[in-house]
Amino acid sequence: MRRRTDVNSDKKFLDVSHMSKSAAPMPEELAIRIEDLSISYKVSLEAKRTLKNAVMRASLRQQARTRSIDAIKRLTLDVPHGSVLGIVGSNGAGKSTLMRCIAGILSPTDGRVTVNGKISTLLALGVGFNPALSGRDNIILGGLASGLTKEEIESKTDEIAEFAALPDGFIDLPVRTYSSGMYGRLSFSVAVSMTPDILLLDEALSAGDAAFKEKSFERMRQLCAEARTILIVSHALATVTDLCDTAIWMHKGSMLSRGKPEEIVDQYLKFLNVGSLPSNYEDM
Amino acid sequence: MRRFCSLRNRHESAKEPACAQKWPRDGRLTPMPTNQDFAPKIQVFEPHRASLPPLIPYIKEFWKRRTFAIELARFNDKAEYLDSRLGKVWLVLNPLLLGLVYYLVVTIIRGGHKNNGLTTLDHLLIGLFTFYFAQNCITAGAQSITMGGRLILNQAFPRALLPFATAIQAFQQFIPTIPVYVFILVAGKYFYPATQVPGWTYNFLWIPFILVCVGLTGFGLALVFATLNVYFRDTNKLLSYITRIWMYLSPVLWLPETLHGAGRLLLYVNPLGPALTATSDVWISGKGPHGLIIFGCLFWAISSILVGGYFFISRERDFAIRI
Repeated sequence: MRRRTDVNSDKKFLDVSHMSKSAAPMPEELAIRIEDLSISYKVSLEAKRTLKNAVMRASLRQQARTRSIDAIKRLTLDVPHGSVLGIVGSNGAGKSTLMRCIAGILSPTDGRVTVNGKISTLLALGVGFNPALSGRDNIILGGLASGLTKEEIESKTDEIAEFAALPDGFIDLPVRTYSSGMYGRLSFSVAVSMTPDILLLDEALSAGDAAFKEKSFERMRQLCAEARTILIVSHALATVTDLCDTAIWMHKGSMLSRGKPEEIVDQYLKFLNVGSLPSNYEDM
Repeated sequence: MRRFCSLRNRHESAKEPACAQKWPRDGRLTPMPTNQDFAPKIQVFEPHRASLPPLIPYIKEFWKRRTFAIELARFNDKAEYLDSRLGKVWLVLNPLLLGLVYYLVVTIIRGGHKNNGLTTLDHLLIGLFTFYFAQNCITAGAQSITMGGRLILNQAFPRALLPFATAIQAFQQFIPTIPVYVFILVAGKYFYPATQVPGWTYNFLWIPFILVCVGLTGFGLALVFATLNVYFRDTNKLLSYITRIWMYLSPVLWLPETLHGAGRLLLYVNPLGPALTATSDVWISGKGPHGLIIFGCLFWAISSILVGGYFFISRERDFAIRI
């Protein structure tokens, strides 16, 4: 990693020209830099995308019926190292699309995302899990899917199982026999057992019962205290106000505002016109 | 409403790089270091203008995450037969029973039985076992992307690992058929002395080469069909017909020697033709494959990987949207 120091300030920059010829150096204190990001894609309006339909269309010289969706529109955002950023917004605001783009799962249509650090994602529960296999097997599978080595995940299997606090013997039973809460607890435990520089969470803190939620928050605090950068997408506004130091409000692909979590949450609730009902703050 | 202690302003004292490894051990869950070499520290995501992503980082990442593919294959294999009473015995039973059915069709009903003991059955079985290896690579690989939707949507990794895992699984399922075949070969010779059995010969060393070629051809074609299946969801249905017709056109139910002159071209235009011919040569006659057959095996293995790899990798960045 090449570094250079700005002559006019003490700011250090990371030269990313070896990754992208057009990218400007990125300040070293930033974990994520999003520049003018747009993501749009076409969705097929056909009930089924089949070869048969494609041949029929071609024979009739018809075009496939598609609709263009602008999921993210010209978003610019800097996220410093060690910050906990909350993202709020209605369904379809582009929150999950933004997370997937930062993780490198979706490609930008325009603009650029520069990430400085290793990323771990918890965008959905039980990614990589096979319901027919035991919890122990799924810990290994989930860990490997997240990019860990087999030795790393095997050395921590018991600890992860203990953190998930499954009832006695359940760890060796097929995951399909688990309740949804147990399933969520196990997948959350696998995701937070890593040491990413940047952790992306999408509604993951709603896993498990009250006791496990408290444990999850404790683990999140531990991650935060270690100066990890965390991005949290949540409809549970208490999560955003309590864990985050900054928040953004997204609506229909655009960032409407950025600021202190309480202010953003207030603006968002006013927009929704639901007031500060307790239900808005609960993990739903 | 649950209240939790605020962490605001905490980051003011967190000026050091986030990647610093200084985890306290007082937590109930001890964090583990991730594979340091896996992902580069700095990543830039931009619109892809080129059809292929940078290939060297892609291949490096693919290689570093091969354990994921190997374990995925192992666990899928384990899960597939967990609820089956006979378990993995079906892996052998299926082609074995099918081989017996085809044997009946080819020899008894057709009335073409020659006094060669179980040679025809042996040829049928080794051809079927090898063909099924390639077919399993392709059919399971074709579904690997659409079936792995949650992984595709939630984790960033070289997508080719999923068809690769199915190719490994197909190989793991093929391996137990070899001792069964050898047993049938030896038993056939014992009960029917006219059965042609190759003696010990160095030509058996060609078997790993043939299997690698079959595996690479299967994997390469799986990449093509996996990509097509993302765009057209009925590809897999079509594939079941394609593989059936393909088997009839391959030297499985008939001997390669039955083709002469220009007809032998059929062996070379078939991606599995040279490999199945070589299989029959080694397992039945104990002969080493002809130079042209070796060239055919290599040609189809390399070209399948190159064409399949290009087609798949150039489109895999769209998979998360198309799934």
